[in-house]
Amino acid sequence: MEEAVRPWGVYIHIPFCKSKCFYCDFPSYAGREAFMGDYVKALVKEIETIGALRVEAAGTPATIYIGGGTPSLLPMELLETLLAALRRIFIEADFPQGERARERAEAGAVEYTLECNPGTVDLDKLKLCRMLGVNRLSFGVQSFDDRLLRRIGRIHTGLEAMRSLHLARIAGFDNISMDLMYGLPEERLEDFRHDLQAMAELSPEHISVYGLQLELGTAFYQMQEKGRLTLPSDEETEAMYDLMADFLPEKGYERYEISSFAWPGRQSRHNLSYWQDAEYLGLGAAAHSYLGAMRYENTHDILAYIEGIRAGESVRRLEEQVTEKAHKEEFCFLALRTREGIEKAAFLETFGVPIEEIYDEAIRNLVGKKLLEETETHLHLTPLGMKYGNMAFEAFLF
Amino acid sequence: MAKKNIRNFSIIAHIDHGKSTIADRLIEYTGTLSSREMEAQVLDNMDLERERGITIKAQTVRLAYKGKDGETYELNLIDTPGHVDFTYEVSRSLAACEGALLVVDAAQGVEAQTLANVYMALEHDLEIVPVINKIDLPSADPDRVKQEIEDAIGLDTENAVLASAKTGIGIEEILDAIVEYIPAPEGDEKKPLQALIFDSYFDAYKGVIAHVRVKEGRIEKGMRLKMMATGKVFEVTDVGYFAPTLVDTGRLEVGEVGFVAGSLKDVRDVRVGDTITFADSPAAEPLPGYRGVTPMVYCGLYPVDSADYDNLKDALEKMQINDAALVFEPETSVALGFGFRCGFLGLLHMDVIQERLEREYKLKLITTAPSVIYHVYKTDGTMVQVANPSELPPQTEIEHIEEPYVKATVIVPSDYVGAVMEISQEKRGTFKNMDYLDTNRVMITYHIPLNEIIFDYFDRLKSATRGYASLDYELADYETSKLVKVDVLLNGDPVDALSTIVHKDRAASRGRQLVSKLKEIIPQQMFEIPIQAAIGSKVIARENVRARRKDVLAKCYGGDITRKRKLLEKQKEGKKRMKAVGSVEVPQEAFMAILKID
Repeated sequence: MEEAVRPWGVYIHIPFCKSKCFYCDFPSYAGREAFMGDYVKALVKEIETIGALRVEAAGTPATIYIGGGTPSLLPMELLETLLAALRRIFIEADFPQGERARERAEAGAVEYTLECNPGTVDLDKLKLCRMLGVNRLSFGVQSFDDRLLRRIGRIHTGLEAMRSLHLARIAGFDNISMDLMYGLPEERLEDFRHDLQAMAELSPEHISVYGLQLELGTAFYQMQEKGRLTLPSDEETEAMYDLMADFLPEKGYERYEISSFAWPGRQSRHNLSYWQDAEYLGLGAAAHSYLGAMRYENTHDILAYIEGIRAGESVRRLEEQVTEKAHKEEFCFLALRTREGIEKAAFLETFGVPIEEIYDEAIRNLVGKKLLEETETHLHLTPLGMKYGNMAFEAFLF
Repeated sequence: MAKKNIRNFSIIAHIDHGKSTIADRLIEYTGTLSSREMEAQVLDNMDLERERGITIKAQTVRLAYKGKDGETYELNLIDTPGHVDFTYEVSRSLAACEGALLVVDAAQGVEAQTLANVYMALEHDLEIVPVINKIDLPSADPDRVKQEIEDAIGLDTENAVLASAKTGIGIEEILDAIVEYIPAPEGDEKKPLQALIFDSYFDAYKGVIAHVRVKEGRIEKGMRLKMMATGKVFEVTDVGYFAPTLVDTGRLEVGEVGFVAGSLKDVRDVRVGDTITFADSPAAEPLPGYRGVTPMVYCGLYPVDSADYDNLKDALEKMQINDAALVFEPETSVALGFGFRCGFLGLLHMDVIQERLEREYKLKLITTAPSVIYHVYKTDGTMVQVANPSELPPQTEIEHIEEPYVKATVIVPSDYVGAVMEISQEKRGTFKNMDYLDTNRVMITYHIPLNEIIFDYFDRLKSATRGYASLDYELADYETSKLVKVDVLLNGDPVDALSTIVHKDRAASRGRQLVSKLKEIIPQQMFEIPIQAAIGSKVIARENVRARRKDVLAKCYGGDITRKRKLLEKQKEGKKRMKAVGSVEVPQEAFMAILKID
């Protein structure tokens, strides 16, 4: 089989949750567990058709990411069906003899992540995942403070989050990420400091930290409209941001992207590929793909997805044809999210023209404002630039 | 055409009373254009004119009409600009005519602007034919409107035509009335040429096209002619009439209306109101009434992107080719960089030019608040004219300042007299006169600073009178006022483009209002921005724009990219009109903030 010219990734979407968190605008649905069986069946079929075609054309992927929703909510047998199909199509395809493939996966040649919610995993499930090739877990912790967790609609406790991490370690995972949120209703700076400290004590390899954003269509958005949401002041939220940016690096976590911190060598390669203009294939309802300068989106509707796949119809629609202009914009503002920033040589190679020729004014302007730093080989945001990232991103839009 | 069969006329009407529709019907009825060629409102052919429903450039068209007596008549319709900014142009158009149709809406009645133009027509001894339009409206009351015309203008309405341009009622009657009541032109074809220029425009092939009325003598192709005011000499290359496109006939006879071209490159050589005569044996006197262009309102125009300076200059030069009333000169602002101080006939003229620069030349502009011209008498005995508030000399060097006053005429239903007086008083106006046009409508005259007119006077009148007020004004004189300059400081630095000249008694409140308006307009930035208003070194008001705390999208993964890019695009679009003033990003509206305070 021919090697792919450039590494690419697979994203698998599992749109089921036990309940919908108040801040969440992701395509995920509570109370539809009855469809899980049919859904996984359809998903496997999509993996075996669309997925296999892609592998034939571009080789096996460098990363696999199962997100949601709550993938860990799938019962054992469905999880096993799904993971087996993924392994068959995306990992073993390279090596008809499955044993070596597993060795390769275990050695981390493929980064293979499963998103979990604390409280939805037990040791058996985690062991199964590990056995079937998953080598990275990402836990949606958000906070260790039960009061805050309840306030944002999470159904687990801080203790359960800690327990889940220990179970994962026992199951043999040595690459674990945990998400934190800040700027939550009635959260104080001290609350967030406790969360950060608790997180550092747990010592996952990777931490993502997100400031709360009120998105249209969420419960929080409606509460805000009705004036029933008390969010921390801008000043307090800023203090939380500053705390995160100072505290985590002190504990040995490198900030390799605006919201992402990791021990050296433990960055999320899958997430990095989004910011480095790599291609990805999304499978499952509402999954997005970026292939050959096109962005596609699968239908959000679980039933339409199941029916479509069953009938052998396409469930994918073209979301956008990425023009040269849009491609340049995205290339830059996505790369600027990372600590490494824009690699000038990569820009030149992709567009055939030096970045300075196109963005000279934007670059000078941002450097002047101390938002951007220019080196011989790269352009990257300063710490101030990360804080006011949107100003820098905008400057790269035509 | 024999003089006795020529009729030259204009149409006088308030906006929306149906002037353009009547013109269209006349063109259509006389077969000047087939209905296939007819666009709606043929005469208003600039996009902007259509959108705003007003006429900015005058247009002329010749109609051929067979009268009831069986003779063919040449009717020259001179469409006039319908706005107070263009009063002088209207007066020149009227001077080219012997008569005018006075179009009055059968439901609305006489308005201030109509009156002003009627008086002007009467000054030019024009024969006025009243046309009561829109008689098909359910609310039409032609008898009341007739009475109003008789009472307010003193015009006999016995011969008034009742019409509905929309349905075509009365069009033939209008044409017959033109033939019957409007006198044929006079003049002697043997006399030295005197042709009145009442408009001009630039044609890419023929050069400047002058719209003329031959008062004495005649024009033929090949003649050497001269502009009496500008002294420009040229040879006639094209001469003829408007249909409404150019029809070259090789000559224009005495009494006729048409065009003359002679490879003239500069529209400023062809001044509205100037007289064309023979280059070699000129007329003894020019026709009366010529006046140089005098802009009433000035503002600064600056490119948002300083790299666009040359483009802006080119665009202004191109606009000037077609608009002799537009004046501009380079100006430098500490805050805004290189730009131009531009003079306009009035606020509408200013708006139109700005909008055309942006639309037709795709320029992003920052416009400073409009200013009048102040006469500043200095202690050393000299006088300087100041059109840019930031150039006002220091207080210590000023003996006194004079500002332009206008005679403002407002017509409103009598219920709103109190509101008009209150606003006018507040705007430093002096009451002059009040007349009842009929039992219900009142004409009020105020002596009021022009500066107050350009500061939202008409907007305030309109909102206080539920849209019923109509306004007309003309320059009256210059008078001494106690004026001071209020400066604005952003982040401690004075921003010259935000300086404004206001009456001393209002300086403090204006300063406070301006500062709090600016606080609303200037977006949060990476640092706190103090906004201060000051007279000299004395700070009279202060507000702070708090610093933006952080501004970054927390998440951006595979499914978010398109959406997030669109979000960034939207944000960026909102900032396109921002100008970096020192380290502060200032939106375009900030420079107009002074106009938005109440």
